[in-house]
Amino acid sequence: MAYLSMGEAHRRITEYLNRFSDAVSSLDGASLKPLLAVSSNSPHLLSLADSLNIFQDASRLIKQSDKYSQIGDVLLPLLRSLQSFRIRRFVDAYIAYEKSSNAFLQEFRNWESAWAMEAVYVIAYEIRVLAERADRELASSGKIPEKLKGAGSFLMKVFGALAGKGPKRVGALYVTCQLFKVYFKLGTVHLCRSVIRSIETARIFDFEEFPIRDKVTYMYYTGRLEVFNENFLAADQKLTYALKHCNPQSEANIRMILKYLVPVKLSIGILPTKWLLEKYNLVEYTDVVHALKRGDLRLLRHALQEHEDRFLRSGVYLVLEKLELQVYQRLVKKIYIIQKQRDPSKAHQVKLEVIVKALKWLEMDMDVDEVECIMAILIYKNLMKGYFAHKSKVVVLSKQDPFPKLNGKPVNS
Amino acid sequence: MAENRNDDAAAAVESHSLKHQILEAGQVHVSAYGHSYFSPSTTGAKTAAWSTYRTANGSTENGFASNSGYHHVQQTEVSRDVQSGLTSATNSSTLSTLGAANGLQEPCAYASYPTSADPHGYENTAYANYPAYGYPPQTNPSYPPAQQVGSYPTSGAPPYRSHPSFQITSSYGPSTSYSSTHYNAAADYQTTGGYQSSGYDNQTNMWYDYGNYQYPNYPSDSVGAHNSSTAAVTQLQYQPHYQQWANDYSQNASDVSCAPGTENMSVTTISTPNCAVPGISSGYPCYPASGSQPPPPGTTSWRPSSSSSEIHSVQVQQASSAIVDNHDDSWKVGTPGLQTNNLCQMPTSYQQPSDSNLISHETFENRQRTLCPQTPYPQYPSAHQAPNPQYPSAHQAPNPQYPSGHQEPNPQYPSSNQASNLQFTTARQAPNLQFPTSHQPPNLQFPMAHQVSQTFQSPSQTGPTFQQILELLPLWPSACPKTEKDTSAPDVASKPAYISVSIPKSNKVSHGAAETPMTVMFPKSFCAYVERALARCKDDADKVACQNILKEMTSKARADGTLFTRNWDIEPLFFIPNTSVDSLNKDNQQSTVIGSSQPKYKKSPSKRGKSRWEPIAEEKLAEKIASVSQDPVKDASWDRLREREKIALSGKQDVKDCNFSDIKFFSSQQQALPSKNAQKQVKKQRLNNGTNAVENDDASSESDREQGLGAYYSGAIALANSPEERKRRENRSKRFDKGHGHRGEIKYFRPKGGIGAGNLHRRTSSPLLNKNYEDGYSRAVEDMDWDSLTVKGTCQEIEKRYLRLTSAPDPTTVRPEEVLEKALFMVQNSQKNYFYKCDQLKSIRQDLTVQRIRNELTVKVYETHARLALEAGDVPEYNQCQSQLKSLYAEGNKGCYMEFSAYNLLCAILHSNNNRDLVASMARLSAEAKKDDAVKHALAVRAAVTSGNYILFFRLYKTAPNLNTCLMDLYVEKMRFEAVRCMSRSYRPTVPVAFVAQVLGFTSNAAMEVSEEKDTDGLEECDEWLRAHGASIIVDSNGEKQLDTKVSSSSLYMPEPDDAVAHGDTSLAVNDFLTRTS
Repeated sequence: MAYLSMGEAHRRITEYLNRFSDAVSSLDGASLKPLLAVSSNSPHLLSLADSLNIFQDASRLIKQSDKYSQIGDVLLPLLRSLQSFRIRRFVDAYIAYEKSSNAFLQEFRNWESAWAMEAVYVIAYEIRVLAERADRELASSGKIPEKLKGAGSFLMKVFGALAGKGPKRVGALYVTCQLFKVYFKLGTVHLCRSVIRSIETARIFDFEEFPIRDKVTYMYYTGRLEVFNENFLAADQKLTYALKHCNPQSEANIRMILKYLVPVKLSIGILPTKWLLEKYNLVEYTDVVHALKRGDLRLLRHALQEHEDRFLRSGVYLVLEKLELQVYQRLVKKIYIIQKQRDPSKAHQVKLEVIVKALKWLEMDMDVDEVECIMAILIYKNLMKGYFAHKSKVVVLSKQDPFPKLNGKPVNS
Repeated sequence: MAENRNDDAAAAVESHSLKHQILEAGQVHVSAYGHSYFSPSTTGAKTAAWSTYRTANGSTENGFASNSGYHHVQQTEVSRDVQSGLTSATNSSTLSTLGAANGLQEPCAYASYPTSADPHGYENTAYANYPAYGYPPQTNPSYPPAQQVGSYPTSGAPPYRSHPSFQITSSYGPSTSYSSTHYNAAADYQTTGGYQSSGYDNQTNMWYDYGNYQYPNYPSDSVGAHNSSTAAVTQLQYQPHYQQWANDYSQNASDVSCAPGTENMSVTTISTPNCAVPGISSGYPCYPASGSQPPPPGTTSWRPSSSSSEIHSVQVQQASSAIVDNHDDSWKVGTPGLQTNNLCQMPTSYQQPSDSNLISHETFENRQRTLCPQTPYPQYPSAHQAPNPQYPSAHQAPNPQYPSGHQEPNPQYPSSNQASNLQFTTARQAPNLQFPTSHQPPNLQFPMAHQVSQTFQSPSQTGPTFQQILELLPLWPSACPKTEKDTSAPDVASKPAYISVSIPKSNKVSHGAAETPMTVMFPKSFCAYVERALARCKDDADKVACQNILKEMTSKARADGTLFTRNWDIEPLFFIPNTSVDSLNKDNQQSTVIGSSQPKYKKSPSKRGKSRWEPIAEEKLAEKIASVSQDPVKDASWDRLREREKIALSGKQDVKDCNFSDIKFFSSQQQALPSKNAQKQVKKQRLNNGTNAVENDDASSESDREQGLGAYYSGAIALANSPEERKRRENRSKRFDKGHGHRGEIKYFRPKGGIGAGNLHRRTSSPLLNKNYEDGYSRAVEDMDWDSLTVKGTCQEIEKRYLRLTSAPDPTTVRPEEVLEKALFMVQNSQKNYFYKCDQLKSIRQDLTVQRIRNELTVKVYETHARLALEAGDVPEYNQCQSQLKSLYAEGNKGCYMEFSAYNLLCAILHSNNNRDLVASMARLSAEAKKDDAVKHALAVRAAVTSGNYILFFRLYKTAPNLNTCLMDLYVEKMRFEAVRCMSRSYRPTVPVAFVAQVLGFTSNAAMEVSEEKDTDGLEECDEWLRAHGASIIVDSNGEKQLDTKVSSSSLYMPEPDDAVAHGDTSLAVNDFLTRTS
């Protein structure tokens, strides 16, 4: 940290305060925005933080001038937050920032126009980022990380200030997305429901009015929620929307979307190209796709086991596990095709022992009863047309389209 | 009453003199009252009554003491009327009670000498109040303006004085009124507030009691009004008065302070110059009178009450008897001093006083009258002057006593306190006795006037008696010198009052030492310093030495110009040459230091018993003090009060500060908070000073505790006094600001009262916790240490029914850990049904919880309960246990973690149907856990369920480890139905029922292997189940039952569960549950 003279420090702080109060008084949201971005590490803010560390009596400066003291409730904790952030005391920084944000929100409520929307965006972002850092700090010191939770409730407050008629409502979706991020991180996704409801049922929100950025994010998160609910059609629709509108330059975002979209598509019978998986580095799905193509149950189980942690964390494990039935279907279909090549007349009668043998070959140790059960399920789930004759232990397939394709429809359940 | 009368008769002349003084004090009070009353008296009836009372009093007084009678008659009449009106009823009742109380108390008081110290302190405080009272004229004026209440306040101010008188007899009435007023004033809040304020400490208690007693009478009238504005006013005034008085009492410092006080007084009184003048004069008189006489009674009674020691009582008695004599002597002696003062102050007045009452008592009366007369202001001044001189004399006499008591007490507190207490007690007793006799009649007739007059008379008598007592007492000798000093202090005080009155010259003259001006000029901190210094004094000699040193210091500081610049709060106290070190002194010191004079007493259970009496005694004392305030006793009490207050407040703020603040508040009419603060402080003081006095009849136990606490805290007060602590307390008290009515007020007071206040807080807020806090009352509510609140069970019963707690757990019904262990073992081996076990386990869990036991035993209990719940299919109970186990395991307690994480998984799979939860709990499983059989099994079950693999599911069902079966049991029905649907959809044309039975677990493996019977049982069961679910079963040619899948596929349905209950929770279906579990 370069040496700063007291006078220089004073000058910088005063300049910052001036810029802040000028931005507020001239309703200039764009110039206010960078002043609030504590975690942006912008050189200006960094030098300001250094100045604050030298010139400790910034509160006096604020109190001295009416111009500052009017928004002193915002400025004072904000400076403290900047200072704390600079010395990497994130918990303190978060606490101070939340205090400042609360004061700012109070002011924001009183402003008719939405000029400060940019600033609110920054606050919503910063509050989350700072909370995450604070939680990391807390966790590393063995304390209970609870700041992100606090940030969640603060963001709900912000949402409340935005959701309503008027020009401010366009900001609601951004805050919603920040809330999603918090809730997904906390694992309290059930809390998303109320926000989603107010977004999707409130007439005042015309979804297309929102900024595209927020719409994509929103769709991504709601799509993920649908994946958890195994509501594949809705998930497909939302994630596809996100993928379609996502900035094609931001590959990381596309990858994140695909991470959920691929399993969803798989479960409705649509396989991705190898090129797609490679381009977006989704190699964990490669084996799954292969297994589906080959009807290789062993490969599928192996792939699932190999990437179990990752799939469990992203929450797609159960989705992928359900692909087993499709693999069985593929396997029986392959047997059927082979039989058809040998003896087309009897191809629609697949003996159970053949299937058991095939599974044995795949090193799947399953007895007849179990395979019989699987066949019954395949028929039951409409993955095979036909019936099972218990007496003769034979799967009798329909002569017409014995293995119907899903074609974008989920497996009956 | 009879006793009192007898006592009075015994003490007769002396008591009369005392009474006179008291009466004077009372009168002063009355005057104050009168003023206040007058203002209130706006209620004609009261005034009329008062007037009559006064007249009666006057007559009685006259009879007793011509002087008092004179003044009283003239001036007091009005005031007396008012007061009498108010007090008459109360007086009569109170008098009787007081008389009895006094009689009882006296002995007690003697015994309680140590406590008496507290009383003294209280008395002192009372004196302080008295000074205020003396000031009262001023205050009264102010009060009246404030309201009728104001008059009450004045009365409240008088209360202190009047209290003494009240205590004696009629003083009750006044005291009541006073108390009420005090309460009002102090509290602003209300009576309670007033009480606290008035009760500064001991007195407060007294007051409270009185207030309680009297309130009934007064309350309706005065209390309410008083409460509002007057309370504040009175408080302010009082406090100033206190401060002033305290300062005066404190001697040099007191002088200085007095001056300020007087200034304040004058300022306050300015509005009614006349009033102020009379008030001042009267106030002064009151001071002496009340101080000397009332305080003694009060103290005695207090002491006795507080300390039940027989010796004390004996002493008191002796003292009382001696006191009477002494009083006379002291009076005489005092009179010289007083005379000097008086002379200085008001030669003219002297004449008047002399005319009216040769006895200082008379002067007191005069003063009182003057006060009362306020209306007749012209007269007042004259009367005042006269009274003042007389008073001074009386004061001196009393003061000497008081001083001895006071000064000694202050420095020596213990000794002085005792002495003072003794004196007080004696005086009180005497007054009381006298009062009863003389008073009762007068009281009845003229509660106020009589009391006043009587009190005056008695005071005069008592004054001597007090002195005598003091003399008699080892302490007294020392006290006597002190008293002299005190007298000077009182004089000073009176002088200030005079000054304020507008007779500064006379005051100054009387002060002679030019203390009055000084007093005016002294900073609070210096006054506090002086008080501190004096508080160290163990006896009169010490006090004298101390005073001398202080004087030197003062003059030095003056010369240096550092008087106002020096930080007296941190100025080290000078060394006092040991003149006499008595254990008593030590005690006194302790008490004084503590602020709460006698912790022991307070703590002693005896107090409680006595407490009721004590309050009365205190009231009486207070009244006496108020009335006596004129007398040395008052001075002593004042000193003590000051000392106590200062001591008590020293850390926080000096009493003066409090007073000042109060005054300011009052002046500004910020009644509520400031007054509250003042009241609080007052309460604190009271608590500290009069832990004894604090003991109210009603709240005897509580008050005792508080007092005891106060005593305890007194030591801690020094620490607690720090500004930080003060702030904290204020904050704490603020929490209760929202509190309603008394409670809120009380709380306020209490908080301010410092530790004592804190105790009070607790008590009020949570009586249950108070017990616990008694020991650790120092703890703030916020700082509650839950560890200390955690119950340690003592119950040895192994069996205990579960009962949901609706109150704090009783340790006698809570089992300690070792018993709980036995209980768990008992439950585990019990053959009784689940309901019994569940009940027992719940009670074990409860006992664990209230004792905050979270160890492996806790884990065992929850695991046992969870298993039992699983076996019984009691999922809600299981979930409770599971969530507890989760946190218990997380805390590092060992247990069957794997088993229960398997259960947890199964629960998530089978019952919550929440994929995200399932994935989350799967993700949480460690690699190690995944190798565990139970967990593996659970994961396999999950896979079977998600894929709908019924074959696998029922195989797993049969091989389930632990109680996994039980959890799966709950899913079997669903799984079977799904399986049958699947089969009827996919199988054609039929499926043998035997196959279905085997696949769907209707037959156990064991059954299949062992006997065909069981197999057929399973078959039939399956048949029934299938039919119940709408399946179509046919018998083929071989006689085998077959499931007609095509028909069944469209006819299957999930039947209503047989055990369906209206509320949807089958586990609550008791009968079925019992059959399942027993």
